Amino acid sequence: MSKDILVIGGGIAGMQSSLDLADMGIKVHLVEKLPSIGGKMAQLDKTFPTNDCAI
Amino acid sequence: MLDVGRHPNIELLAYSEVEKVEGEAGNFKVTIRRKGRYVEEDKCTGCGACAEKCPTVVSDAFNEGLGERRAIYSYFAQGIPSTHTIDADHCRQLNGKKCGICAKTCQAEAINFDQEDRILELDVAGIIIAAGYDVFDPSVIPEYRYREIANVVTAIEFERLLSASGPTGGHMDRPSDRAVEAEIAGLEKKAKKSQKAISKLEEKFNEPSAQFYKKYQAGEYKDDEDRKKWADKYTAHLAVTEPLEELKKQAEGFTVAKRLAFIQCVGSRDFRFYPFCSGYCCMHSIKEAIISHEHEPETTSSIFGMDIRAVGKGFEEYKIRGGNNSNITYVRGRVAEITEGPDNNPVVIYEDTRERKVKRQEFDMVVLATACAPIKGIAELAKTLGVELDKYNFIKTSSLSPVDSTTPGIFVCGCAESPMDVPESVAQASSAAERAAEIAFQMDLEKEKAVA
Repeated sequence: MSKDILVIGGGIAGMQSSLDLADMGIKVHLVEKLPSIGGKMAQLDKTFPTNDCAI
Repeated sequence: MLDVGRHPNIELLAYSEVEKVEGEAGNFKVTIRRKGRYVEEDKCTGCGACAEKCPTVVSDAFNEGLGERRAIYSYFAQGIPSTHTIDADHCRQLNGKKCGICAKTCQAEAINFDQEDRILELDVAGIIIAAGYDVFDPSVIPEYRYREIANVVTAIEFERLLSASGPTGGHMDRPSDRAVEAEIAGLEKKAKKSQKAISKLEEKFNEPSAQFYKKYQAGEYKDDEDRKKWADKYTAHLAVTEPLEELKKQAEGFTVAKRLAFIQCVGSRDFRFYPFCSGYCCMHSIKEAIISHEHEPETTSSIFGMDIRAVGKGFEEYKIRGGNNSNITYVRGRVAEITEGPDNNPVVIYEDTRERKVKRQEFDMVVLATACAPIKGIAELAKTLGVELDKYNFIKTSSLSPVDSTTPGIFVCGCAESPMDVPESVAQASSAAERAAEIAFQMDLEKEKAVA
C-alpha cells in the first residue's frame, strides 16, 4: 500500500495542493495535460487586487 | 511554479493524461499515459536552439493565437519543465517530409523522432482533481460579433496583449492594426524580391523601369520578348508596391488603443449559456482597465455590467480606486449589440439604465469578460475516476464538504469544482491537500499496525 497522492492538473490549484502535500512529507505525482505546468494563471499578466505579477 | 519543479517529493508528469483508475480510497491503481514529446526529457536542456532553427511556424496557443511559435517549442518561456516538445501535427519530419533540422541543431542529442507514448502504473492513496476550466467561446453570441470585428477580444486575449512577455511586448496594439502591419511585412518581402528582379533588367538595358515602361506602353519594342518579360515583371512589382504604399500611409495613423470598453457577463448570468455568475470577471476587468491605464495614462475605460460584484478582501477598495485614479467609468446596463464603425472602431449599443436611454459609443477596443466554462474532457475524466458532475459539468460536491467529490478518497479544488478566483483556488487547494493527507497518513498508520 502506498501513501502517495495523485494530483490531476498543474494550474494554481494543483500546484498549491502538490506543494502543501510535499511539504508534509507525502510523495506527490502531479499530472499535467499540457507540456508545462502553470495553467491559466501563467497566462495572466498581473493578479487582482494587489497587481502582483502572476508568474 | 519553480518550487513545484524542484521539490524532491513532487514527481512532475507534464504532457501526460490519466487513462484508468481502479480501486478505492487508500488504494487506487492509476494508469497514466505519458505522451511522446519526441524529445528526451532527461537530455533536453531547454536551450531553445532547435526552436530558433525550426522552419515551421504555428499559431501559439499560450498567446491565444495572437503570436506564433515553431513546430518544436516550449509551451511558454518560463514553462516548467523547460523540455521542448514537437507538435506532431505540424512537424515536417513527422509528417513524412524531409527535415530533421532540430535533430541536427540539438547539441544534447535530445531529439528522438521514434519516441512513443509510455504507460505508467501508480499506486496512490488519494486523488486531487485540479483540472481547471475553459474560457467560454463568445463567438456563439451573435450580437457581440467576436471574430467578425477584429477589435473585439476576450479578456484572456487582452491579458496576453497587456503582458510584457506577450506578442506585443505589453503595447496595446489593436488586432486590426497588427493585421495590417503583418500584411505590410508580407508585401515588403514580396516587393524586395520583385525589386531585385527588375533591378537586374534595369542594369541589363541601362534604363530605369518607369521610363522604359512608358515607351513600352506607347508601342515601342513590340516584338522584343526580353522587354515584354521586363514589362510583365514591372507591372507585377507595381501590383505589390502600390497597395504597400497605401497600407503604409494607413499605418502611420495607428496608435495604441486608448478608449476601452469592457463587457461583463459574456456567457455567464445568461440563460442561453451559463446561468451562474463566474465570480472573477468583474474584478479582472477592473484589473485590466487599471493596468492599461498604467501602461498608457491617457487610457479611459468603460465597464458595462448589470452590477459590479467586488466580493472579497480588498476588492471593493480596488474597484473604487480604479474609478478614482484610472479613468474607469462603471456603466449599469447590458450591451445589446456591437457594430463596426470607421477605422475598425467597434461601436457599443447599450441602454444606460440610470438614464433610461439607449446610447451608442465608439471605442478603440472592446474586451469581453467571458464566462468560466467547465473544461473540455471533464465528462471523460469524471467517468474514468468514477465521480459525479453537477448540472453544469463541474465536479459535484456538497456545501458542508466543499472539496470532497462523490467518491471517497477523491478530492477537488479550483475551477474544476466551480468558478473561483486565484485566492479562493489557493485556499481550496490547501484544503484539498489536507483532506488527501488525512488518507495518506491513515495508510501509514495501518502499515505500521500491520508490521506490529
